[in-house]
Amino acid sequence: MAGEQLALTVLMGVFLVGVVSLVSRMENLRAYAPLTSGDAGYGDSAATGHKPSGLLRWLTTVDHKDIGILYGVYATVAFVWGGLAVMLMRVELTTPALDVLGSTGVYNGLLTSHGITMLFLFGTPIIAAFSNYFIPLLIGADDMAFPRINGIAFWLLPPAALLIWAGFFLDPLTGGTVEAAQTSWVMYAPLSAEQANQGVDLMLLGLHLSGISATLGAINFIVTIFTERSPDVNWANLDIFSWTILTQSALILFAFPLLGSAIIMLLLDRNFQTAFFAVNGGSPILWQHLFWFFGHPEVYILVLPPMGLVSWILPKFSGRKLFGYKFVIYSTLAIGVLSFGVWAHHMFSTGIDPRIRASFMAVSLAIAIPSAVKTFNWIATMWNGNIRLTAPMLFCIGFVANFVIGGITGVFLAAIPIDLVLHDTYYVVGHFHWIVMGMIAFAAFGAIYYWFPIVTGKMYQKRLAKMHFWLSEIGVVITFFAMLLLGYLGMPRRYATYEFNGLIAPLSQVTTLHQVATLGAFIILFAQIIWVFNLVQSYLEGPVVETEDPWDLKETGQYSREFEWFAEQLDSTDDDAPALAADGRGEPSDD
Amino acid sequence: MSQRESETGETAGTGKLSSWPLFVALGLAVGEVGVVMAVYPLAIGGLVLFAGSVAGILTESGYAERPWRALTALSGLFVLLGLVVVWTQTGTELSTVQSALASTDTVVLRGFSITGAGVVSFAAGLAGSSITETGRAA
Ligand code: HEM
Ligand SMILES: [Cu+2]
Repeated sequence: MAGEQLALTVLMGVFLVGVVSLVSRMENLRAYAPLTSGDAGYGDSAATGHKPSGLLRWLTTVDHKDIGILYGVYATVAFVWGGLAVMLMRVELTTPALDVLGSTGVYNGLLTSHGITMLFLFGTPIIAAFSNYFIPLLIGADDMAFPRINGIAFWLLPPAALLIWAGFFLDPLTGGTVEAAQTSWVMYAPLSAEQANQGVDLMLLGLHLSGISATLGAINFIVTIFTERSPDVNWANLDIFSWTILTQSALILFAFPLLGSAIIMLLLDRNFQTAFFAVNGGSPILWQHLFWFFGHPEVYILVLPPMGLVSWILPKFSGRKLFGYKFVIYSTLAIGVLSFGVWAHHMFSTGIDPRIRASFMAVSLAIAIPSAVKTFNWIATMWNGNIRLTAPMLFCIGFVANFVIGGITGVFLAAIPIDLVLHDTYYVVGHFHWIVMGMIAFAAFGAIYYWFPIVTGKMYQKRLAKMHFWLSEIGVVITFFAMLLLGYLGMPRRYATYEFNGLIAPLSQVTTLHQVATLGAFIILFAQIIWVFNLVQSYLEGPVVETEDPWDLKETGQYSREFEWFAEQLDSTDDDAPALAADGRGEPSDD
Repeated sequence: MSQRESETGETAGTGKLSSWPLFVALGLAVGEVGVVMAVYPLAIGGLVLFAGSVAGILTESGYAERPWRALTALSGLFVLLGLVVVWTQTGTELSTVQSALASTDTVVLRGFSITGAGVVSFAAGLAGSSITETGRAA
């Protein structure tokens, strides 16, 4: 033990010396750049320096566009991890018995990792990718209000991912003493407090870091949108995406610190013998209250910005302005406020006071109203419009369609009598996957295609993008309809096996539906392989975009600020270097 | 390549770099893991890195003229925090704190590791301010 500690100390010392020397190298690099005062002063005039090339540029950048790209790459890596985890689970579920994974513990570990990865390491970061890159462009700001805090917020995420996944890496290294956490993403006590496995502690620490990152980002966006707008952008013409990011940031500010505190309480329970969530102490229900007080706002933290993206992109290909711009904003704000008053709809079956339960049911049903307002506004925008079915538009339409099913199944679940039957079945899993996959991921895909020319200077392969859409939509429908049906049949969620007797559920139908869901999952997987291939191939070899208006937005008067910025980029260059490469990357252009 | 942006003068996309954010994040992550998982070298190293990087980033962005005072303030904070952790187990009496130095109780040791990080940062601050004449961050 003492030897290990000594070795670690020496390693730490060597590491710190390395840091000092690296930093002094960096300081020499930028020694000629004037030291500006105050964070916001960054963009002023210091346009004399060079970005260093290669890895060093990406490690040290505080440019909002670079950080946006980093967030995007990070989210994609997380998406791959979470996706592969769930494919293993889906394969296991093709048969009732435990035939593939070898132990239920492995399944539980994958389940936990899938949920946490997709929500915290894919969902939030992919949204941050768009907001970092585009909010400053959309509101006419030089950069974020606090560029360095922006950098800190991003760099907290890679360690967070390593810690959250640490159990998987440490399991073989420690001979199984530390394994992947098996708490599920909701980490309910007493299970989470009593699993001795240190993988759980590492995961909690990682989650804590990701929460700090989200909070720093939220503060940055609030300040940026309030103070860095160009003079001609006011509250009345602020774009819809910025509105949703502003609302999201407010939700983050109230929700994430609470999660952080609850996680610290759980860590104290686990390591320091406190009794916050012990049966004879603060009670396990306390955890559920704290978790869902964060958890329900979190689902809107994840869905509001995608709604903003769709509200922004869908009109561009409908040839019309967004119908009811004001009401879309009001509904965003209404959802933001209401989302803090519905958390106990996740706890209807825990035996809480029925009067409290009923009030939560009422607010949960009420939140469906602003959600529906948005849906009708999107449909009304397309109505009689001049619709162009480009890949971004297809994803927007798919988004609206999936929201109808995902939203309405949510309204069903918000009714206490229905929830008592369907709670903890696959119906719930179906409900939220229509939303998280069918909406959040779809909006992200749509926005990636829409802005691909701006970020890379190239155009993607349109046919592959459409294949990506159709396969994804078909896969989503097959997989998640099967899950809703499984729920009606009574299949409980979070099980690696389902060898129950026929009195609980009809085993053969359940097996078939599980196989159908797995088939759908493979279709989704195949679609995402096409997506990644298309992005990489087009970035490297795609046709260079030479027009400042690749989507013909001028015709309908919808040419907007981020493309004006793109036009400036095109004007100011005499060669055809794509924006990403030209942005200091120091890559030669294609000639 | 990057002249292109200075030509427009609009985006000022160049020269935007800082080596500190990465290390602030890394310091926090390593320090947090070290303290909670009771791996003392990580605790001390991580917290020292965190304190140093915070001092550095404050200086770089012009909120502080020299990093040393911020470093000293943070180190004071760590010393105090660590002592509070120790006191939760020993009480505030000097003799019990002294005898706790020999303790193997992990909470006490975590407290001392935080205090230790403060002491190291404090020493670094002293050394830094006396060595550099200009007082500019390394
Ligand atoms: C129309 C508004 C919505 C309503 C009324 C609603 C209602 C509900 C209810 C009552 C549950 C609990 C089901 C149960 O465990 O028995 C639930 C679960 C869930 N909902 Fe929704 N929902 C809505 C929208 C959303 C949105 C927009 C998202 C995601 C962005 C979402 C994500 C989730 C998730 C992740 C769960 C499962 C949590 C878990 O137990 O793991 N919901 N929803
Ligand atoms: Cu909810």
